[in-house]
Amino acid sequence: MKTEIKKLLKSIQIKAQKIGRPLRLMELCGTHSQTIAQNGIKSLMPDNIRLVSGPGCPVCVTAQKDIDIMVGLALAGIPVAVYGDAVQVPGNLMSLEEAGRKGAEVYIVYDITEAVKIAQKKPQLVFFGLGFETTTGMTAWAIKQGLMVYSAHKLFPPAMKALLANKKIKVDGFIDPGHVSVIIGVDVYCQFPIPQVVAGFEGKDVLIAIEKLLTQILNKERKVENAYQRLVKKEGNLKAQKLIQEVFKVADADWRGLGKIKKSGLKIRSKYQQQDAEVVHKKLIQKIKKEIKIKPSACQCGLVLQGLVEAKQCPLFGRSCTPDNPQGACMVSVEGSCNVEFRYVQNNK
Amino acid sequence: MSRITNKLRSLLLEKMEKNKTIELEAGAGGKKSNDLISQIKKNLMFQSRWKNTDDDGATFTIGKEHLTFTADAFIVDPLFFPGGDIGKIAICGTINDLSVMGARPIGIALSLVIEEGFPEKDLQKIIQSIGKISKATGVPIVTGDTKVTEKGKIDKLEITTAGVGIAKKIIQNNGARVGDVVVASGNLGEHAVALLAKRFNYQSKIKSDCRPLILELQAVGKYLTSCKDPTRGGSAAVLNEIAEKSKIKILLEEERLPFAKEVVALSELLGIDKFSFPSEGRFVATTPQKYASKVIKILQKYNSEAKIIGTVQKGKGVYLKTSLGGTKIIDVPQGKLIPRIC
Repeated sequence: MKTEIKKLLKSIQIKAQKIGRPLRLMELCGTHSQTIAQNGIKSLMPDNIRLVSGPGCPVCVTAQKDIDIMVGLALAGIPVAVYGDAVQVPGNLMSLEEAGRKGAEVYIVYDITEAVKIAQKKPQLVFFGLGFETTTGMTAWAIKQGLMVYSAHKLFPPAMKALLANKKIKVDGFIDPGHVSVIIGVDVYCQFPIPQVVAGFEGKDVLIAIEKLLTQILNKERKVENAYQRLVKKEGNLKAQKLIQEVFKVADADWRGLGKIKKSGLKIRSKYQQQDAEVVHKKLIQKIKKEIKIKPSACQCGLVLQGLVEAKQCPLFGRSCTPDNPQGACMVSVEGSCNVEFRYVQNNK
Repeated sequence: MSRITNKLRSLLLEKMEKNKTIELEAGAGGKKSNDLISQIKKNLMFQSRWKNTDDDGATFTIGKEHLTFTADAFIVDPLFFPGGDIGKIAICGTINDLSVMGARPIGIALSLVIEEGFPEKDLQKIIQSIGKISKATGVPIVTGDTKVTEKGKIDKLEITTAGVGIAKKIIQNNGARVGDVVVASGNLGEHAVALLAKRFNYQSKIKSDCRPLILELQAVGKYLTSCKDPTRGGSAAVLNEIAEKSKIKILLEEERLPFAKEVVALSELLGIDKFSFPSEGRFVATTPQKYASKVIKILQKYNSEAKIIGTVQKGKGVYLKTSLGGTKIIDVPQGKLIPRIC
């Protein structure tokens, strides 16, 4: 092991011991959850430090209603395109993958330029726009190219605000997202009175962030540090911000698990309404919304996403909800908290 | 709460039973593939005097030798790719399935289903690749069948090969023992990356690793306690199979992983686990510590990247010791390879 890593781990050990009390540090970004899982970082933490995943996986926080609408459009014969890991997320009726099996035209794309290409042959194509500021810029670009989009895009800071407003949630520090911060910069986080570090995506980056958070907690500081300066600028990416502003307007949005959060979503401006699936297919979407029957479910994805319950505590976990047959988004992604937990339980039986 | 759960569960099960169709993921070599195969086996009589019927090839003991028999169907898109084509894979795949069982292949049956309108020169090219490997390895094509279907009934071309071989000693996949080391015969996953790069128009120097494994396995077979070629499901699937059947734990070390830089890069770019990338001309195996350096020395004559990648320990499952010192589970891939967006 490199001496630098050893030093970091040692410092984390010492500081955690000095702090003594149990700490919960929340990574807000899905890719950080991935880094933590890939590098086995949880297994390296002192006993009193728990790393919990926040609502930073855009697929996981996408509301069932939005999935239902996309499924409804697809089943009505409209070709749809979607990022890979969103196809398996169940809505109230079914997932987009199941819709595909029932004959709907569902295209999985790796990046939005593929959707733009498909739309040249199939101008009716509706792209499922989801994700935070990281993917929104690209969607804005594609809308300007003429791609039709159903926007479930979300803004990151309002979710952080909502998390902090919930008194039940106990978090001692945030590992702020890296990719999102490349776009929105660092200043925007200063409104939150909690220790925060913007981190990169190497294993070492996450260890550095944890070490810096512990230092802040130990010194009773509450500031925003940028440990990802090689990519994240203080003011962010102004060009992308301008593009997003030009195409999107801020609106209220539904979050899986968090409910409706004011001014936390992005809808397409009327200037681009010909590319807005919600305008073009207004009647059809109204009909779909009317027909949605909320499936009773004991799925606790929402609470898991907020770090309020552990995956294992959900009554569906490992019973009707498994990676083969996921009932909630946290079980879909291989790095979703429930999915990761399930595999650990399986292997350690 | 548990009453609600039970009700939900029975509703779900009912729903699942009613509209069950075969999912694409069931063909990807992961857990769903295993489920499908169990379903198929339920209605078939297996075994009789045959052994190893859930391994790469089944074996039938005649005197002191073991007849080994295997079959494999190939549907590859694209048919031609950097480093090979469907024909090369079809013959190598069957030769390799016999070779990893410790058998010397003695003959191959070749069956072709061709879609009406398929270009004759492409077919010739594919058959020539099969002929080339057959000649180079000395394994003849001894019988076969050819069918042509109406346009649209199949996608271009499907090839099935079956092969028989003879083994003095079968290498089973349940033979790994605590204290063994895990070896890879070369860098893994390059077949998948060559195809994915072509599919996504990425420029890449990586070529498919498709090749016959006869010579190296003839050379080291006697030292191996288990051996598999990581085709569908990649190294994640086959290492888990060895661990499960041998009732041991495999611990890999990140710093010794057998992946080329480009394979890792594409894995990260597409968000697909590199351990689930298939290879078509590599194997992973276990060997007792005392033979380890001998095995590696021999294997490096065929591929300079052959190396020890981990150890066999008490326990279960496959784990990776990361370069930061943490541990991570390497699980059987769930279904088809789906990229993440976040």
